[in-house]
Amino acid sequence: MAGIGFELRKLLRAESYLGLLRAYTYASIISSGPWVFSIVGLIAVGVLSLGVVTPDTLITQFQVTVTYLIMASLILTGGLQLGFTRWVADRLFEKRHADIAPAYLGVMLVTTAVSGSLGWAAALLGFHGVSNLYRVLIVVGLTLLANLWITTVFLSGLKQYRAIVGLYALGYGMSVLLSYLARPWGLQGLLLGFLGGQFTMWVLMLWLVLRNFPLSRPINLNCFGRRQMYVALLAGGTLYNLGVWADKLTFWFTAGTSNPVIGPLRASTIYDLPVFLAYLCVLPGMGIFLVKFETDFVEWYDKFYTAVREGGALQDIARYHDGMQAVVREGLYQILKVQALTLLAVYTFVPQLFAWIGISSLYIPLFLVQAVAASFQVMLLAVLNVFYYLDRRRDVVLLTATLTVLNFALSLLSIHLGPEFFGYGFAVTLLVTLMLGMLLLQRLFRKLEYETFMLQ
Amino acid sequence: MSHPEFSDTQPQPHAPAADIDVMLLLEGTYPYVSGGVSSWVHQIINGFPHLRFHLVFLGSREQDYGKARYQLPANVVGLTHHYLFSESVLPAAREQRGDSQTAALVERLHTLLRDGKDRHSRAEVLRASLQAMQHQLDLHYFLHSHQAWAYLTEQYQLRCTDPSFVDYFWTVRTMHTPIWTLATLARSLPAARVYHTVSTGYAGYLGAVLAQLHDRPLILSEHGIYTKERRIDLFSASWISDNTPILERTAGEAGYFRQLWIRLFESLGRMCYDAADPVIALYETNRLRQIADGADPLTTCCIANGINVPPFAATRALRPVQPPPVMCLIGRVVPIKDVKTFIRAVRVASNRIPGLQGWIAGPEDEHPDYARECRELASSLQLGDTLKFLGFQKLTELMPKIGLVVLSSISEALPLVILEGYAAGVPAVTTDVGSCRQLIYGLGPEDEALGASGAVVGIADAQALGEACAELLGDTARWQAASRAGIARVERYYTQPIMFDHYRAVYDDALQRSAARAAGLRDAVGAVATWLRGELPIDPEPSAAAPAEQGSD
Repeated sequence: MAGIGFELRKLLRAESYLGLLRAYTYASIISSGPWVFSIVGLIAVGVLSLGVVTPDTLITQFQVTVTYLIMASLILTGGLQLGFTRWVADRLFEKRHADIAPAYLGVMLVTTAVSGSLGWAAALLGFHGVSNLYRVLIVVGLTLLANLWITTVFLSGLKQYRAIVGLYALGYGMSVLLSYLARPWGLQGLLLGFLGGQFTMWVLMLWLVLRNFPLSRPINLNCFGRRQMYVALLAGGTLYNLGVWADKLTFWFTAGTSNPVIGPLRASTIYDLPVFLAYLCVLPGMGIFLVKFETDFVEWYDKFYTAVREGGALQDIARYHDGMQAVVREGLYQILKVQALTLLAVYTFVPQLFAWIGISSLYIPLFLVQAVAASFQVMLLAVLNVFYYLDRRRDVVLLTATLTVLNFALSLLSIHLGPEFFGYGFAVTLLVTLMLGMLLLQRLFRKLEYETFMLQ
Repeated sequence: MSHPEFSDTQPQPHAPAADIDVMLLLEGTYPYVSGGVSSWVHQIINGFPHLRFHLVFLGSREQDYGKARYQLPANVVGLTHHYLFSESVLPAAREQRGDSQTAALVERLHTLLRDGKDRHSRAEVLRASLQAMQHQLDLHYFLHSHQAWAYLTEQYQLRCTDPSFVDYFWTVRTMHTPIWTLATLARSLPAARVYHTVSTGYAGYLGAVLAQLHDRPLILSEHGIYTKERRIDLFSASWISDNTPILERTAGEAGYFRQLWIRLFESLGRMCYDAADPVIALYETNRLRQIADGADPLTTCCIANGINVPPFAATRALRPVQPPPVMCLIGRVVPIKDVKTFIRAVRVASNRIPGLQGWIAGPEDEHPDYARECRELASSLQLGDTLKFLGFQKLTELMPKIGLVVLSSISEALPLVILEGYAAGVPAVTTDVGSCRQLIYGLGPEDEALGASGAVVGIADAQALGEACAELLGDTARWQAASRAGIARVERYYTQPIMFDHYRAVYDDALQRSAARAAGLRDAVGAVATWLRGELPIDPEPSAAAPAEQGSD
């Protein structure tokens, strides 16, 4: 907390619009860096390979393969990301620092074993007519990315945002560079280059983790023992990632909206590009998210629980409660406002923008719906974050389960209703989940003290 | 810690009433903690072999007690343990709404408790809450309901002068929870003819509940004054936090949480005084104090402790003619005994009489921190071999080896060790607490004529205590006069036969009243107490259970 919060405070204290702008820009980059880099990186590799890697389908195969690797590794590790981060936080609270490095390596080991075996099973059983090198690369890619997500979340739990953004810039820079150098070898070359960059990034992160938590004991699997990680967190993390990808999966595996790309992997030409571009529009919202929910909220949250634990007056506890509540309200409002402004600007300039990049204007309506949906997703992320802090794991599971079920169902429905409804499945899903989340949040805040004291 | 003879704690709710004559309610004493009250309980049980006793031991937490310190006599037919602050009895945390009717009831009960000064409103509180606690106002309601939360926060804002809400919350929770768990316990205990509590406090509350539930007589024998002792404990208790800034505190004023605890014990005490008949004190000062604390004067009386003189008398011959230069504190090493003053007094006395020794005979495990401080004090005073910690001692073996029984307590009732010392011919030097002055200089002309059997000094006055001890040990003629006075005093006023005669009257009366109530008859209030006070019965026409006749046999 100290690191990023302090720097943001310093920037915010400049008390000028420029200072404010700088603070939020900084926060946006910090919070959205990793996935912006990955989207931009993938597009860059594609653009740089045009004309060299032929036919063009190979480039699509590369991009689709990497997208699937990212999706699969995210869903696979979503639960562990949350469960383990919480486990680490609890050990840090108990001041048992020496337990962390052995457990971290244990988690890496389990992740590698599980994603490796699943990867092998999929590569051997699911993929026909691909080279063995390709099979090896997707297995390596899956395990590498899985480990990378765990490490990223671990580092962001330690609030090492700047290091993460730096490493992602470096890693994806390397990926683009190596892919560029390896493009004469076609699909395998591009994949190898991409994974080379990712591997560099993972090694550096590993080094960073072990520098913070030197290994003083042998690796162990204690954190997988009974009653070590919260089942609700494991479920919540998995469901969230599954829920976010559910609409993509639906579009990929519905015959009318997709084409086969390589092996069993399919892609949706109409759906995918607008969706990924839409995510770039939530940068400003993510900035607010970081400032309000990871910095301001945490300050009130700390005050609240310190007062509860260490004998504050009820009036103070109520004041900090109000502080938390106000930050949540303001934060959600601000995300809404800044996203609305961003979307208005995007709406105004999107025809020129698409024409300039060379994307068909047919994509525009879907892109705009997706941009709205992605904005809701930022707000949902903020709401979920509050539930995580206040340790309401059951609510998290309820919300993420709603997200998953609705996204599958409504995406399917939107496909049935026809192309003009594409994207609305995802948008409506997020809107409903977000509403439910705010309702639960309101209920939670209404009886936070009661639950904190009477039901502990 | 369980006793092989008894299937531990779990009472048989349907045991026939005839099985148990007297149910003794023991809070933090017999049979797990040794001390004056425990010895007395042991003595009483042994003294009435024809009565069947069932013991109910109330402790704080299971882990706070070791093995039983006493071999339970054969006429103890059952032993139930209950731990007041054990988590295991609490219901699981589940959200509960609560209802406005119950909230209103809680409000009314508290108002009655706070403002109701008469025994009728207090009886009403007990009756109404006992009834309500079985239904809507259960422990789950208190611990987990929104209504309880609302009431708690409202009371905090209205009354709490300490800023810490979390401390308020836990204080209120901790002190109220036994009110429910004890009511539940009361319903599960086997029936008895008579209930006898040896303190007020939680045991006294349990007694009041049992008396109310079963409509049976409750006897209260108070050795110290529970409420007063708790007050001393609470003032020095470090586990109660006091978060009022130091500048805002008034000297001598207890912090808010301490006041809460004291008020709780006062309320529990009054409930017990209301329910008990007779209310027995050890000596006159305490009887007056009980009246001041809310006991009906009519039900109060005194029965002094008595000891078994012959075993101690036999040790007189074992002592050398010159009294051994040993001043001995016999008691548990706990703050209330103010052992530190004794240790300082040993320093003073040993400066006067070379070779004098100070012994501390009593267990140190009840308050390990205090015991450690005492040892540290001894070594800082460079007492070396002059001071010995002996641990628990068999008194008939100890008495011939010592020259003085010393008590430096800041609070005592009627300490048996003084009487035991007298019986063995050992004079006593004590602080001016409880009945000590009466025990040493006598009460009334006849008693005073026996002479001083030692000396009394002010509390926490190590210099005076040490000097008084040195004077007695250094002057054999004076010592022997005191020894003779002590022997005469104990044999005339404080023997077991005298005490047993009085308690026989109390038990006989209570058992008769119990039988009468079973037959639907009412009895007169305070009859046996009136007889024990040596007054004439107020009721000109003795009812069926009038005790005067029993008293005379």
